[in-house]
This record gives sequence, structure tokens and C-alpha cells, in this order.
Amino acid sequence: MQTKIENCLVFALMLGSAATAAQITDYQSVTDELLRSPPSSDWLSWRGTQAGWGYSSLDQINSENVNQLQLVWSWAMDDTGAGEAAPLIHDGVMFLPGPRGVIQALGAANGDLIWEYRPGVTAAIEGSDAVALGPEQLGSAAMSATAFAGVGRGVQKNIAIFGDMIYAATENASIRAIDARTGLLVWETPVADPALGYYYVAGPIVANGTLVTGINGCERYKEDVCFITAHDPLTGAELWRTDTVARPGAPGGDTWDDLPLRFRAGSDAWIAGSYDPEANLVYWGTAQAKPWASAVRGTTGDALYTNSTLALNPDTGEMVWYYQHLPRETHDMDEVFETVLIDVDGRQSLFKMGKLGILWQLDRISGDIVKATDIGYQTIVNVNLVSGAITYRDGLVPRIGQQIDMCPSTSGFKSWRSMAYSPQTSAMYIPLTLNCELATFGPTERVLGGGGTGPVRRINYPHPEADGNLGELLVLDIPSGEVKWRYRSRAPINTAALTTAGGLVFFGDWDRRMFALDAESGDVLWQSRVTTSAQGFPISYMVDGRQYIALPAATGGASWSSSLPRELAPELRRPRNGNSMHVFALPVQ
Amino acid sequence: MKLTASCIKAVSLAAMLWSVSAASVAQSNDAIWAGVFTEAQAARGAADYSTHCASCHSGDLRGNSNTPSLLGMSFMFIWEGRSLGELYTKMRDEMPSDRPGSLSTQSYEGLLAYLLQSNQFPAGDKALKAGVLDAINITAKPVATRQ
Repeated sequence: MQTKIENCLVFALMLGSAATAAQITDYQSVTDELLRSPPSSDWLSWRGTQAGWGYSSLDQINSENVNQLQLVWSWAMDDTGAGEAAPLIHDGVMFLPGPRGVIQALGAANGDLIWEYRPGVTAAIEGSDAVALGPEQLGSAAMSATAFAGVGRGVQKNIAIFGDMIYAATENASIRAIDARTGLLVWETPVADPALGYYYVAGPIVANGTLVTGINGCERYKEDVCFITAHDPLTGAELWRTDTVARPGAPGGDTWDDLPLRFRAGSDAWIAGSYDPEANLVYWGTAQAKPWASAVRGTTGDALYTNSTLALNPDTGEMVWYYQHLPRETHDMDEVFETVLIDVDGRQSLFKMGKLGILWQLDRISGDIVKATDIGYQTIVNVNLVSGAITYRDGLVPRIGQQIDMCPSTSGFKSWRSMAYSPQTSAMYIPLTLNCELATFGPTERVLGGGGTGPVRRINYPHPEADGNLGELLVLDIPSGEVKWRYRSRAPINTAALTTAGGLVFFGDWDRRMFALDAESGDVLWQSRVTTSAQGFPISYMVDGRQYIALPAATGGASWSSSLPRELAPELRRPRNGNSMHVFALPVQ
Repeated sequence: MKLTASCIKAVSLAAMLWSVSAASVAQSNDAIWAGVFTEAQAARGAADYSTHCASCHSGDLRGNSNTPSLLGMSFMFIWEGRSLGELYTKMRDEMPSDRPGSLSTQSYEGLLAYLLQSNQFPAGDKALKAGVLDAINITAKPVATRQ
């Protein structure tokens, strides 16, 4: 008996040491220079490069051979929350973020698991001063590790890679560093109090050697406001913190009229930004003010710096300029989404699009508007295409309890599914969902801990110009803004777009389909069908001379992935689970 | 499917009629204030809420940017004048969002009881039962019983 127990213990210890010994043996440190000019085989920033194009310069897979794509490997991810994964690739390893803080390192060519980091389970690295967040720190925000996080908290979109570490921002409003070779926790720094509603869904980006991260969960009334921070990648020390809401008495503070600090909510920074190393500026979007309707939040002021693009110095946090896309916004029309940096005719520009479907071109050095392009589906504002100024259409500013008819719905035409740019076609590929809403905005209690978005009675209906389709991939010429082509589908387009030098654009829809289209003509050249809704951020990379396309599928994902298809395309069905990654390549010759 | 302006108007009119008729029903039906669930049901619902609902709607029921508040003015703005049967059906058909309909009838009844208790509706002696909920409307507290 004794021998049996000893044998068992030895076996268990062997298993344990095998689990902890798994590591990446030939990892090369990631430098600022590498992030600035990544090899085409890698995918080192959440949208490929710091400029946020969502473009791969690989062309082995092209419009001639893409119809031969076949599945090489797939991987089931945790189903403990919405999957919106933006994986990274470095030296043949995929770093894959999953719900609830899980990160896995997989062989990018074969799908073998090398290590996984699991919050509260994976050990901290020996000798580190890592502080794990326990129930004492989390208070009422503590969730069991296996609970389904649904929407909002628990989502983990992007992660960052720098030096020898992987960086993540957590559902508990902390930032953590994980050893890229072993998956062990190196440090974790609490940034805000999760019990007040703060959490992260977007991870950091690396800018001039700092980790820049935007907080989320800013809808509750509290004696604080939303912010963007920078942290030291080696120690986790906070370097600066810049408010995304103008406080009373601060510059811009009067744009909230006389509302006290506690009632200045929103301006969440829930999508990661982009970085221009030449200008040394970080570009970050902010969300709408909360509660959504100005009549409910009690001010008709511009509410700086909500629904703006901010240009920040990554060394100091100084706001070098801001551009507020929608002053006085009052319909939940978020402008927070990705920032795409493109030089147009020698002008250093950036492009953004919010829920309304207005493509903004700004000079990214001065912050001046260059032009606006209204894609023509929205019915809420009139926009001056030269000055960028907006005015609300008659009868479209909501009053409490009064129904208005608006396109888009509060779900938006555009969401977190990032657009991609292709320098080959000089075009932007924009995932959209076309929908409208009869909306009635309601009141909230003006008390600490209250607030929120404010209630809305919603009756969604299909967009009258969409012929019953919810999904559209809209392709706009840059810089003219003219429509090159559009692809429509009954189901919402539910992933970010990926463009490649092979003349292709990849994306997927809610109805489990993955597509490759000819980027110039819009012809459908390849499609496949996977576990559940296509959802997340497709990427491309190369290992040992073979190009791969990685396409994520997932559930969750807020209204584009729940109420809209359920109400407006009820004949479409999908499994309840199925968060997963699917990797395709051409057959080996 | 092409949606015409007349179709949109029809939907809008239907919504208006619905709210008018709901309001008139609300004025004539205060049964919910007589106690339509038990304390024990609400306690069971509180436990189930913590397990199945709090991760999205928050421990204090106030929701987040993606999930509606289930409390106070926000709850009443959406649900006042509508029946408990409608609320029960929505919960059963759409919640929890990752596995709708996966809880037992007893659990959904308990969760509904907990929602009502959290919104200051009184408990009573009789347990809330699915199937008879369509006749009970969610109404504001009657003036005579306000304290």
C-alpha cells in the first residue's frame, strides 16, 4: 500500500513538473524596433501593426489559389464568456486570449498547446512580487472562475507582447504581465476598484516602451471618472493617468454644465488604440457619455472628452489634441472604435468610424478634420462633410418617454468588429450590421452607484434599404470615400476584417460562415462553416514558409450577436457554445 | 424583405396601442401589490441570481453598459404596465444569455420573485406559479398604500 501511494505521488510530481516545464525555448525578445517594423510572418500588434490596418503583407495565399484553403488545426477555447479574441503571433507561436483572463500559447503551425495562463490557477514566477486579486480586494465584483461572464466583464479582446512578456488587462481592472516563455505570472497591478464597476475588455498597446491601456465600466455614478493609463512594462508601476472626462474646473469642465463630478459618467476607452512612432503619439477613442440620452444625464453640453479621438504623448500622458466627433451625443452612438493610421497624398491621416457610419479623416498631427464621409444609412444627424460639424435632425433629440424612430438602432451600424485597410486597393473594408429602432429613452436614479446607460424601450426593425439583410461588408475607396463594392448577408458580419497582399479580404458572419473575397471585385472565392458564429479578429502569419489564416468563432458579443439576429433573422440558429480558433492554409505540395 | 414607410408606421402604431392598452390595464390591476410570491421563493431566487445572473447584471442588479439595470426606475420604465407572464417568458426564453431556458421552472419562478422583491413588491403567503402570470400586471404602487 505504502509503495502504491509513493508511486502515485511520484507520478503526480512528474505530471506537475511536466506541466510547469513546458515553455517556448527559442523565444526572441520583442523590441520597440520590432513592433515598429514587424516581419510579415509575425502579427505583433492586435491589428497587425501599430498603424492598425488589419493588413498582412503575405501573398502566398492569393485570389488564384484561395479556393484550395483547408483546415490545418482548430482549438476549442473556454466557454466562460463572450469570445472576441485578437491573437498575436511571434516566431511561430500563437498567443491566444480567451474569456475570463485565460491566455494560451499554441504552436502556430500545429495547434499544440505550449502553456496556458489561467487566473488564480497558474503560479506566479518565483521571486516576483505579484499580488493576485482575491475576494478581499474584489468585494462584490468577485466571480467564480467558472462562471459565464456573458457580456461586458470577462471579455478579453487584445493582449500585447513586448520584451519577454505578454500583457493583459483584466475583468477586475488590473493589468498583468505573463512570462512569454513559460506562461507564469510576473506581476499584476490593480488599476481601479472593480467594486465601483471598473473593468477592462481591451488590453494594452505598447508605445515608446510603455503600456497604454484604456479602462471600461464607467457608467455608474461615482466620485471618479474614466481614464487611460501608462504602466512600466518591467515593474507594473503606473507612469501616468489621463482622464477621459473633463472634471469640474478643469479645461473643458464647463462642457458638462454644472454637473458635479459624480454625475459625469461614460467616456469609456474600451477599444485599444494605435500608435505613430514618428509623431510619438498614441491615438485612442472614447465612448459616449452616460446615461445615453442628454435629457437623462441632465446636461445638453458637449460633455468632453466623450465620443472623441484623443492624441496622447505616451511618455507623459499629455493630451496633445482631441477631436470630438459627436458633441452632445444623445442616442448611444459610440465613436470609440479602432483608429487606422494612413498617409494620404503625403498627409499623415487617421480614419475612424462610429456607430452612425460616418467615416472621419483627421490630420493625425494637428487633429484637424480633413473630411467626413456619411455612408448614407443613418437618419439622426446632418454632417458637414468639410467641417465635420454635426446637427441633430428635427425631432431626433430624444425626450424622456417619447418614442423616436432612428437608424441605426442603439446597436449601431459599426461596432467593435474592426475595419481593415488594404494599400493594394487603397480601400477600407468595413463590417456593418444594418438595423433601425423605435427607441424610447427612460430615466435613471441620480444617486451614487446608480446612473448606468439609462433604460431604453427598443423595437428593432430591419433597415429599409437593406433588402432584409442585416450584414454588410462595405468597401470604400480611400480617400474619396466612394463605394467600391458591398457584400450583403442575411446574418450580421460578425468579425473584424483582414486584408492581405494576396488581393483578399477575410471575414465571417453570425451564421457560422468564414469568407475570402477578392479585395478588388468582391467576388466570393472561398467559404467554410465552423462551430458557431464567426466572431473575433482574423489574422494571417507564416511559419516555415507556409502562410496561415486564423479565423476565430465565438458566442456572446453583445447585441450584434444576440438580440439583433434573434429578433430580425429568427430562422438562423447557432449552437450556444463553441468559442474556438480555426486555422487554414494551402495544401502542402 | 423590404420594409416600407407604411410598415414602419404600422409597427409604431401597434407599439403605441400596446402602451395605451397596457397603461389602462395597469390602472385596473394592482394584484401584484397583494403579494404574489413568497419570501422563501425570493430567497431561492437570490441564490440563483448570484450563480446565473450576477456576472452580467451585476451583484446589485444595476447592470453594465451591455446589460440593462433590473432595478428601480429602469426596471419600471421597461416593465410597468406589462404582465408578469411577459417578463417570465422573456427570462425563460432568453436568459441566461449563454444557455436560455436551461434552468428549472422552479428556478425561473424564484428569480422572478427575487426581481419583484428587489423592486419593493411585497411577499405574500402564496407561491408564484408559472402559468397564471399573464393575469398579473406590473404596476406602480397604488396611491392608497403608499407610505
